[in-house]
Parts: sequence; structure tokens; C-alpha cells
Amino acid sequence: MKQSRGFLGNNPIAVLMVGLCPAAAVTGRVIDALWMSLGVFFVLVLTRLGQGILRGLGQQPPGPPSTQPALAFRRGWLGGLFLASCFTASFELILLAFAPEEGASLGIYVPLIAVNCIVLDRVLEPGTPDDPGTGKGILRSLQTAAAIGAGFALCLVVISLVREILGSGTITLFPMRSFGGTIEVGGLSRAPARALISAGGGFLCLGYLAGAARLLSRSKRQGEANGGEEEAKRA
Amino acid sequence: MSLIGIILTFSLVDNIVLSRLLGICPCVGAPGGMRMTAATSVATSLLMSLSALTAWVLETFLLRPFGIEFLRIPLFVLGVACIARLLDLAARRMVPQLLRAAGVPLAGIALNCATLGVALLVVRGSFTALQSLVVGLAAGAGFFIALSLLTAIREKLEVEKVPSWLQGLPLHLISAGLLAYAFMAFDRAFLSRLLRGW
Repeated sequence: MKQSRGFLGNNPIAVLMVGLCPAAAVTGRVIDALWMSLGVFFVLVLTRLGQGILRGLGQQPPGPPSTQPALAFRRGWLGGLFLASCFTASFELILLAFAPEEGASLGIYVPLIAVNCIVLDRVLEPGTPDDPGTGKGILRSLQTAAAIGAGFALCLVVISLVREILGSGTITLFPMRSFGGTIEVGGLSRAPARALISAGGGFLCLGYLAGAARLLSRSKRQGEANGGEEEAKRA
Repeated sequence: MSLIGIILTFSLVDNIVLSRLLGICPCVGAPGGMRMTAATSVATSLLMSLSALTAWVLETFLLRPFGIEFLRIPLFVLGVACIARLLDLAARRMVPQLLRAAGVPLAGIALNCATLGVALLVVRGSFTALQSLVVGLAAGAGFFIALSLLTAIREKLEVEKVPSWLQGLPLHLISAGLLAYAFMAFDRAFLSRLLRGW
């Protein structure tokens, strides 16, 4: 259940509000959001695996317990950054080989996965409870990384669906055989709100998503508190 | 592209935060007032200009001549990270008051996707060494403009009554969105006509 905290409870975008740049920049089309999510998932999981293996081999000692805000530099940060950048370069090569159009559409945002706040937060934060070098094991670290990557993907897809449907009146997916890859949303495709596709639309969608996440968590907390009171009264 | 064109493009038309959507986290998430804003902007601008120049040197003298462009990302990331660390160490010795104003390590706040993004933009734009340096400085100026405007808006909104579910970061993001729409007025054609008038 703890892994679900990275997916919903500690969702990087809706709750922790990190990794906002790709969430605003590449969510104009659903397919771009899917590729970006795949890239962040790939880099995050493999970097954690690499860090775990290196620490297990004793080449990179675990850092001191975390006492400072995220993104501060500690022991092993350069190795972690190097691993993340190597996996990012690998993902870029894979993307350009299999989907060159999407690779060109994503532009500089694919190389920037290496310094994405979510990846940096994980890479530069040795000593956290799920750190592969602290004895809890690589598996738990991978599970957390995968949950965070999946939570990031969920938010990116939701934002891109809202922006593309309202801003272009279409949903762009992977083309397959007779399916061209684009679904037109009746009515909206003739008079879309183009402002949502621009940079400002990305910020607006993110802002309202964060607000909606806050409303949801509040109502959930209130529901739990009301349920607790009723139980207490019954008792 | 002329140097004035580069400055106008990278500070206003293609603003690194409001148009390219890079470096959003330090802009909307960083706490603190104008002092913190100034410290963060100085550090980020310095890092951006040095990163742009380093990227140009690496691309011109190492990656292209030896045909190893696939190593661009690891080399750039390591280069930017090392410059950020050196900048942090230099600031500790030379301007400790800047670090006190920032409150957190400069290397930590300055190493973000905006700094690496500028390095990548320089390489894709085929600029000269001087132009690369100016691109970095102009992008840093654009970062300062965006960050100071957002900080000023945030300080104004702190004393206003707003719906509780929008308080804090959601409202900062919505403000940034409206500011991004306002920056769309800095059109390339409009600026080129303005420059022709001079």
C-alpha cells in the first residue's frame, strides 16, 4: 500500500508539485504526454536500479541522512546525475529510432528528463527510507520509483486530454494499421479554444488541477473525520 | 541574428519561463520575497551564461569533430552540474551575503531544467561563442523578469481574499498562466518593426 503513496497520495504533480515543466510544456497532445511519461518512468526506474547496484557493489557509499531540502548536493550526486543523463540519452536514441516525428515534436524536453525535478529529487536524495543503499533493498526502491513514474504519467495524460480535447478538439494517439492516430471530438474540432494549447494554457490547467487535487483531499479528510465521529457516537 | 535581436528574443519573445516553460519549479514554488528572487536570478543567470558557453565549446571542439553527439546529454549535464558546484563554492568565498539571501545552496536552486535548456537551445541554434554567451545572459534576464513579476503578484495576492482551495501554488500557477498570455504580446514581428524605427 505504501507504493500507492507515490501514485496518488504523494503524486509528484498534483500533490508535491515537482516536475511541472514537462507537465506544462508537452501536454498539448496526448501522444507527446505518453512518450514523455514513458521517458520519465524509464529514466527514474533504471537510475534507481543503477544506483542500487552500484551501492550494492560498494562503489558508491550511501549518503548521510536527509536533513536539508531536496535538490541539495550530497555525496554521490555526480554519479546519480551521470546515470540519469546516460539513461536519458538512451531513451532519446530509442525514441528517435522508433518515433522520429514524436522525438522532433518533443524537442529539447526529452534531454531535459535528466534534470527533471522528479528525477533530481530521487537521484540527489540518498538516505531517504526507500533509498537502495539504506538496506531496505532495491525492490522497494524500484516499486516507489515505478509508483512515482506512474503517478506522473496519470497526471500528464489527464492534463493532455483536457488541453487537447478543448484546445484542438482532437485526441492524438499511436497510429495503428487502419487507425490514423487522431480521434476528432465532434463539435469541439470546429471551434476549439486554441488558448489552451499555448504556454499559458499549460499553466492554467496545472493550477486548476492542483486546486482540484486539494479539494478532493479535503473532502476525503472531512469524510473520514465525519465517519470517525459517527462511529464514536454509536460506540 | 544580431545581438539586440538575441537579447529581445530570449528575454521577452521566447522567455525561458513564460514561453519555453522551463524553470517553472523555482519560479512558482520558491518561497521568499524580492531579496530571494534577486539572489536566485543572479545565480541562475550566471549559470545560464556559463552553461551556454560551455555547451558551445563542448559541441564545437569535442562532440562534432569526433562524431560523438550521442554523448551530448551526459556531457552537458555533468558540465552544468560542475559549473553549478564551482559557482556555489566561489559564492561561499566571495559573496557570502548572496548565499545568506538565498537561504539554500545556490548550486541546488540554480541547477534546473532552465539552465540545461539554454545550453541545448544554444547548440540547436548554431550560434557563435559570443552569441552563446549573450543568449545565456538574455535568458537569465528573462528568468529574472518572470521571477520578479511572479513574486510581486504573489506578494499582492497574499493579502487578498481568494478561495481556500486555490490558495498558494494553484493560484501562483494560474497567475503565471495569465502572465504567459500577456507575454504573447511580445511578438517577433512587432519587436522587429520597433527596432527598425530606431
